[in-house]
Amino acid sequence: MTEITIHHYLYLGLILFIIGILGSILAKHVIKVLISIEFILTGVNINFITFATFCDTTTLGGYIMSLFYVAIGAVELAVALYIFYLMYKKKTSENIDKYGDL
Amino acid sequence: MSGIYNPIIFYPVSVLIILFAFLAIKFKNIFYSLLCAIIVFFLSGLIFYILGSEYNAIIQIAIYGIAVPIILGLAIMFTNLQKNKEIKAENKASVFKHFILLSAGVFILAIFYLTITSLAINPQGFNINESIGNTSTQVINSFSQGIFIQYVWSFELIALILTIIVAGLTIFNQRKDV
Repeated sequence: MTEITIHHYLYLGLILFIIGILGSILAKHVIKVLISIEFILTGVNINFITFATFCDTTTLGGYIMSLFYVAIGAVELAVALYIFYLMYKKKTSENIDKYGDL
Repeated sequence: MSGIYNPIIFYPVSVLIILFAFLAIKFKNIFYSLLCAIIVFFLSGLIFYILGSEYNAIIQIAIYGIAVPIILGLAIMFTNLQKNKEIKAENKASVFKHFILLSAGVFILAIFYLTITSLAINPQGFNINESIGNTSTQVINSFSQGIFIQYVWSFELIALILTIIVAGLTIFNQRKDV
């Protein structure tokens, strides 16, 4: 079995990113769309940390960017859920197709 | 060979991440989707740990693995659970999902076995910091340099913008005409 290189980790991040994109396009449930967006952010985080580990072992800039993304992702989720709560009170449905007039 | 270059650790974890991410999208029942997403976030934390970033791994598990699912679970509780039960009945017929779950179970067992045996054969360390000799103090030092010196204004700006957004949403909810 061959040794794992930077490309393997980048491909893993890419696959997770693509799954997240597909989920956010295809899913009908609002919360499933939010979960898919978190997958996208996780894929991006894997890429950041991979580059920081393999290409920059002194300043670790990728690790800090990853922290940015985790913080922004968590707050973005809270804001999105708040908007979902406001819309759900009106529409009484979690189907994203009914939220067209947002 | 440390964990970062070790295919015995990388491949099962990657396959599990992809399988559970796929399942999270495929399941019609939102509770099952959430459970699969939790597993994906935990395994991503393991990948971060293998890559040498213990700090990011802990944050990933604490925020994405625990805090975010709790918020999402609370949001699901407010939605229509009766509809979810109907969808659950439809889910029972799917053989394909059972096959994926079975493969995921086999991979979980494989991870436990192979990781333990791999570490027994290669005791040089589990992640890159152990193999290149980075101490925890050096890693924390680099982190603090980045957060508190290099990118401090970016962090402050992001915090300010997010606070404005949250305050704006609260005011938005107070208005009767919306």
